[in-house]
Amino acid sequence: MDASNPPPAQEPLARDDRASGSDGAVLTVNDLRVCFAGDRTTTTAVDGVSFTLRKGRSLGVVGESGSGKSVSSLAVLRLLPTDSAQISGEILFAGQDLLSIGEKQMRNLRGNQISMIFQEPMTSLNPSYTVGDQVAETILRHRSVSKAEAWTQAVEMLRLVRIPSPETRARQYPHNLSGGMRQRVMIAMALACEPQVLIADEPTTALDVTIQAQILDLLENLKSTTGTAIVLITHDLGVVAEACDDVIVMYAGQVVESGSVEQIFSFPQHPYTVGLLGSLPRLDEERDELVAIGGTVPDMTQPPAGCRFAARCPFRIEKCAETPPMLEVNPGHTSRCWRTPLEELADEF
Amino acid sequence: MLRLLGHRLLQLIPTIFILSLIIFSLQHLLPGDPALALAGENPDPETVAAIRARYGLDQPIFMQYLYWVGGVLTGDLGLSMRHNLPVTTLVLQKLPVTLQLAIMGIVLALVFGVVGGVIAAVRRNTSIDYAANVVSLAGISVPNFWLGIMLILLFSIQLRWLPASGYVPLSVDWRMNLATTVMPAFVLGTAIAGIIMRHTRSAMIQALESDYVRTARAKGLSPTVVVVKHAMRNALTPIITLGALEFGALLSGAVLTEQIFAIPGFGKLIVDAVFTRDYAVVQGVVLVTALFYITLNLLADIGYILANPRLRS
Repeated sequence: MDASNPPPAQEPLARDDRASGSDGAVLTVNDLRVCFAGDRTTTTAVDGVSFTLRKGRSLGVVGESGSGKSVSSLAVLRLLPTDSAQISGEILFAGQDLLSIGEKQMRNLRGNQISMIFQEPMTSLNPSYTVGDQVAETILRHRSVSKAEAWTQAVEMLRLVRIPSPETRARQYPHNLSGGMRQRVMIAMALACEPQVLIADEPTTALDVTIQAQILDLLENLKSTTGTAIVLITHDLGVVAEACDDVIVMYAGQVVESGSVEQIFSFPQHPYTVGLLGSLPRLDEERDELVAIGGTVPDMTQPPAGCRFAARCPFRIEKCAETPPMLEVNPGHTSRCWRTPLEELADEF
Repeated sequence: MLRLLGHRLLQLIPTIFILSLIIFSLQHLLPGDPALALAGENPDPETVAAIRARYGLDQPIFMQYLYWVGGVLTGDLGLSMRHNLPVTTLVLQKLPVTLQLAIMGIVLALVFGVVGGVIAAVRRNTSIDYAANVVSLAGISVPNFWLGIMLILLFSIQLRWLPASGYVPLSVDWRMNLATTVMPAFVLGTAIAGIIMRHTRSAMIQALESDYVRTARAKGLSPTVVVVKHAMRNALTPIITLGALEFGALLSGAVLTEQIFAIPGFGKLIVDAVFTRDYAVVQGVVLVTALFYITLNLLADIGYILANPRLRS
């Protein structure tokens, strides 16, 4: 690995905007665990994940495929198959634990207080109904309005997500719209009831780069106008840098590092984060080649004892055979690594 | 959409032409000489010649074809040699009977097939699903004639609830009509119900795993709305085509069932006609059945277009 992550000279940024502390939390996840029972094996997809989402902020959840990002978010909305997924822990929203409320109560929250948009705008809309109908359906479900009123609101939502001539577009079917337009429709649908939390699962992955930037801009804008807190799930650190305030980095079902965007990007504390940043292409630096992290993600039917990243870690020591706790590096910045703080090890690269 | 429909209608012209050629020539491939069959035992050549002349059998074959087509176009399907009646009259007599059985059969099949398939898909891998699979497999596997005989044994002979055979027209007595048609309609429906159930189940499972169903659930919709409005709407479009094809098959496939229940329908008409080499009747019945098939296919295509927004625009 190259020395692209020198220890920052400055102190980590002060976080005045987060001073409200736990008062500002809209969604708190504590020790979330999700297991999928197979015929012979049990896969632990999410293993003790905790995070806090604060009002009006966006939290980036970063990790490679299979790190448990999407499963965690589906668990928050309780959309995982109930017959195979076993969920434990705590998901606190508006003073109640979402894992202990009834299914009917949960349905009243979905699409209303907490909404979600997905990776595939091409297949996430129902091909048999007009997009206007599909947006209006959410409004009709959660608000006591007439059909005509719901339709008017749906058209307004489509205008809000900057779909040109929304009156005409509302009467069209998903196949008449481009991928970017469909993702805008999904966002309109998700925000129609002014939810407190929007979970966006890889919302830009399936889109062209130019459209990606537009969608991220839109989310950023809507966040500031509506105050909706956003969980942005992505494998793309570039997206996180552009659109998020806080970040959690996930590896093999666990959070390995958590902090503000500034902390994570300028002062990464977990070797996995360091590796991810090293594999990020940048225009402002000269690099001969991108650095890949050697090895592969562990088999989650039998996760390794101790640190899960140890087998791929250049900083591995004997102690890594023991499971590391989340260690605080700086206020608000924690890392699951025995060797934290890492900057002292820079010469080991 | 109109373009698609026009295209579809144009395709009918060659189809119907080829169909008419096949129907006309098929009967000439049947062994035996109808004139000889009609002339009785030890006929003298003059009688045979007279019969040939009367039915146009002495004409060149293409003339026979043109006569036949001309007749068909004016509603004249020829004369039944056996019944000495116009084929059109016979067809109009028997068609309503078979049509009624086919409609009852397909309605039963659709109701049981779709409901069963949807429930099996929603309750996938539970005992309900396994039970539905066993029932649908039984419906497909059990031969019609055996099921018919078993039903007669049970409901007519043991329980004496229903008449074993015969047919009473709807216009005469609707209760008796129902009593005489319910068993054959059930027999006809079971096999198709099994097929429809299996198709519905797999299409529903696919729909329930789709992204748009996940979206519907993420909106907070109830399971009923998710299943009926979002999943079924998309899963059932292929069932339109399947249902139409199976309905067509019922019209021509009721032969055995009509024999078992002694119902004077299309099936019985064509079987009798084949055995007595009553060519005109065979042609008439096959033609009407084939035209039904073509019409049903066309209707299915139109229905498919109407149900599918991607084809409509």
